[in-house]
Amino acid sequence: MAIEPELIYIVVYVTIGGVLGSLAAHLCPVGGAPAAMGTATGIATGTIQILLGAVVTGLFTAATVSTFTNNIVLVMISGAVGATIMMQVTMFFANILYGFGCGITPTSGRVAVDPITKADQTSYKTPQTDGHGIPDVVFISGTLGGFSGGAGGALMYYTLLHYAHFTYGTAVIAALGIFVASAIIASYNIRGTIEGFQDPKFKRVHLALIPTVVISILCSLVVVIATIALRGA
Amino acid sequence: MLQVVLLFAWTLVIVFLAFLACNFEDQESDIGSQSNPNSMVQLAPQVGQIHRFFNKAISGEPISNALYCGTAGMVTWITLSWLEPLVPDAKWKAAVVAIPMGLLASSMIHTIFATTAHCGRIAAQKRFQQPIYLDVFYGHLLPIATHGFMTTFCIICIAYFQSNIGYLAGGGVNSPMNHPFALPLLAFIWGITVGSIGSSTGDVHYGTEREFQDRPFGEGKRVIYHGRITRYADCGIRTQKDIAGFCCKFGGPCTGLTFGFIILLEDWRTLVGMKLAGFLTALPGITRAEQMYIPQGDMAAIWGIILGLIIIAAWIVINMIFVKWIRAKCGPFVGP
Amino acid sequence: MAAEEKKAEEKKPEEKKVEEEVVEAKPKITDHFKFPPDETGLAIIAGVICVLATIFTALPAVIKGLGLILATLWGADCVRKTSKYGLGTGVPSIGVMAIGYGVIGAILGLAFARYGNVGQIFPGVLLGVVLMGLIGLVSGYFSNSVKWIAMKIPRLERAMMELGMAGTFANLLMYSIVTGSLRFDAVVTWVMDTGVIAFMFILGVLAMAHPYNACLGPDERRERTLLVPVEITGLICIILGFSMLVLGTSPFHAVWDGMSLIVFGLIVWVVFYTRYIKTCMKECYATVGTGLIKTID
Repeated sequence: MAIEPELIYIVVYVTIGGVLGSLAAHLCPVGGAPAAMGTATGIATGTIQILLGAVVTGLFTAATVSTFTNNIVLVMISGAVGATIMMQVTMFFANILYGFGCGITPTSGRVAVDPITKADQTSYKTPQTDGHGIPDVVFISGTLGGFSGGAGGALMYYTLLHYAHFTYGTAVIAALGIFVASAIIASYNIRGTIEGFQDPKFKRVHLALIPTVVISILCSLVVVIATIALRGA
Repeated sequence: MLQVVLLFAWTLVIVFLAFLACNFEDQESDIGSQSNPNSMVQLAPQVGQIHRFFNKAISGEPISNALYCGTAGMVTWITLSWLEPLVPDAKWKAAVVAIPMGLLASSMIHTIFATTAHCGRIAAQKRFQQPIYLDVFYGHLLPIATHGFMTTFCIICIAYFQSNIGYLAGGGVNSPMNHPFALPLLAFIWGITVGSIGSSTGDVHYGTEREFQDRPFGEGKRVIYHGRITRYADCGIRTQKDIAGFCCKFGGPCTGLTFGFIILLEDWRTLVGMKLAGFLTALPGITRAEQMYIPQGDMAAIWGIILGLIIIAAWIVINMIFVKWIRAKCGPFVGP
Repeated sequence: MAAEEKKAEEKKPEEKKVEEEVVEAKPKITDHFKFPPDETGLAIIAGVICVLATIFTALPAVIKGLGLILATLWGADCVRKTSKYGLGTGVPSIGVMAIGYGVIGAILGLAFARYGNVGQIFPGVLLGVVLMGLIGLVSGYFSNSVKWIAMKIPRLERAMMELGMAGTFANLLMYSIVTGSLRFDAVVTWVMDTGVIAFMFILGVLAMAHPYNACLGPDERRERTLLVPVEITGLICIILGFSMLVLGTSPFHAVWDGMSLIVFGLIVWVVFYTRYIKTCMKECYATVGTGLIKTID
């Protein structure tokens, strides 16, 4: 059987989506359980919990948009914008809760001076903690993480919808399945907590990219085989 | 005849329900001690602090809320597909019966999972001498089920409205404005989102403030405090019922505002984009298959993206202003 | 096939008897009774029964429900194996990964179902299972190998491979119960487009991740933990039976098939749930009506 361009698109786009998802897992600031006690900087939950929430919001927006346009760039950016808004509003209200509910100022525990606004961090940090709240650089990192994750999820969804010719429901569940497969491997790399791109742990990102690429390629090959088998009957 | 005003009005109803849903989601995670602050309740017996809390650990909030909402959505959808053919002219009658049945199934499953989690976790802490207090066990099951019921009710209503919004705005039963996802899938998606948000925002109020009420206000909780939670209440020994009553004053509404804002900025922005591109006026008379290929569709998406990018930039600025303000107000850390 | 199924049925009353002895004797964990079979034995039994229950889609729903119980038991056992060493990100993520792989593998299996099928027997779906096992092995290699992510959890590769396969089996069996066959268009119409897949996804995740998460602690015991996936599968069977009654897609008489699955699910749930709660209350430090608390320094 001839290799049609659609099948190549499936492999390429799903792999790009997987890489974006893996990048999102490293950019999203998560403090895990300690952050819920004001002991660590970042969103007070686990990587997969917040990433799943952002990506399904992005998928919802992308699905709405995909009913009235079939341009891949528009669908991808709509999904990205949807996921980013979700992350931003969540981070902002977390700051409100820290500030008014617990009297805690947002400060980072990994850098002494904020790389973007040059504000002092160490003097505002509670001793014997690892920072608390969502300061400026962490907010920007979360914005980028949400954008990347939403774009990756929406790209996978669009590919499965238009090139593998799945229906809406099948495409979204399959996109979610492939996305979590790559994002979870990436989340193992950060060992539960990361503050964002200013965190030294971010330098390990290249160790997770190759496994993500391999696994995304394998999953996309599975989808390609399924598409060929479906077309053949 | 699709009425644009009704579309926007139903979207506002959805936003209001979203506010209620996430408010009760945070309350439900307080009354059952779920997710991240539950790690302190788990740690307490290990450092010798026996407690009378309800240790409900159902794999984190996004997954557990997806469970309640997904189950309710499925049973509601199955009942709707059974009842709707019986009342073709008044679909709302089928919904009025189907939605409570779905919620009944979801509440029962919620209670079952809560009991297995609590009993299992306490039984695995035998060496730390933590007993199962039967009054804590039985007395919290109904509050847990009730708060979960309220969350799930709002989410199922949101899913029902979204999958029928074109029909509700007068566009006919198979209106192209109806969301392409089916009701259970929409409920599942919002369940994950609601759990994600409640886990990141409302849990802070529970974990940092209420769980460590006898530590100083205005500092992050130091690592040496971990596990030494406040177990004695204003009068007697604290249980989850004291926690939920406190967190409903600030944590709950803040979490509700979060989800309400997110739904507002998502759905409203999409609709405004459609209106600015003239998509809604071009809509009558074309089917769902055709609506992907008209040029107003692309313009609607572009307007939606432009509005979204403006909103993203605005939130970055708002956060910077807030962080600067709160630092100026509270000042650097003083004390030991 | 009948002999193997009978062996599985016989194991269940045996297991219940052994469990009663254990509970009354205030257990000290001895390794001379094997309840259930150890991890490899459980994997082999579950694998064989699931293959049979998946390929022969003309079986009554109760047999498929039994296959589903074994698939979730297998998955929960694998999750327990890996999480004991501390995954860092928590137990739920590996459950989500298992079912995520399962969905992709199931879609591939369904696409291949039409090749080589003889009437209602679909051996082609096993390709999906095998490929997902392979992908699980690869992701296990990357997660554990020192050059990459280096989690250093013993036998993680094998556990991820088994999770890929168990997830695929669980998905395929649930689709087979609801639609009565494994044809791709039937599954898309009744399962994917209707949103029922969302319910199957999340309950599959919880059937594998909840048992170890709910029994987390230093005094966790494998036999007690493995009562939970069976109980959760009972709940799945009740709701899937209800959906079979309404959707009417079974190859048999829809009402009897659906009712039998609901009754089966109810019996399984009642037996295993009461056994689990009673075991927990007997094996914890103390079960008291009410009481004060103490602080141990």
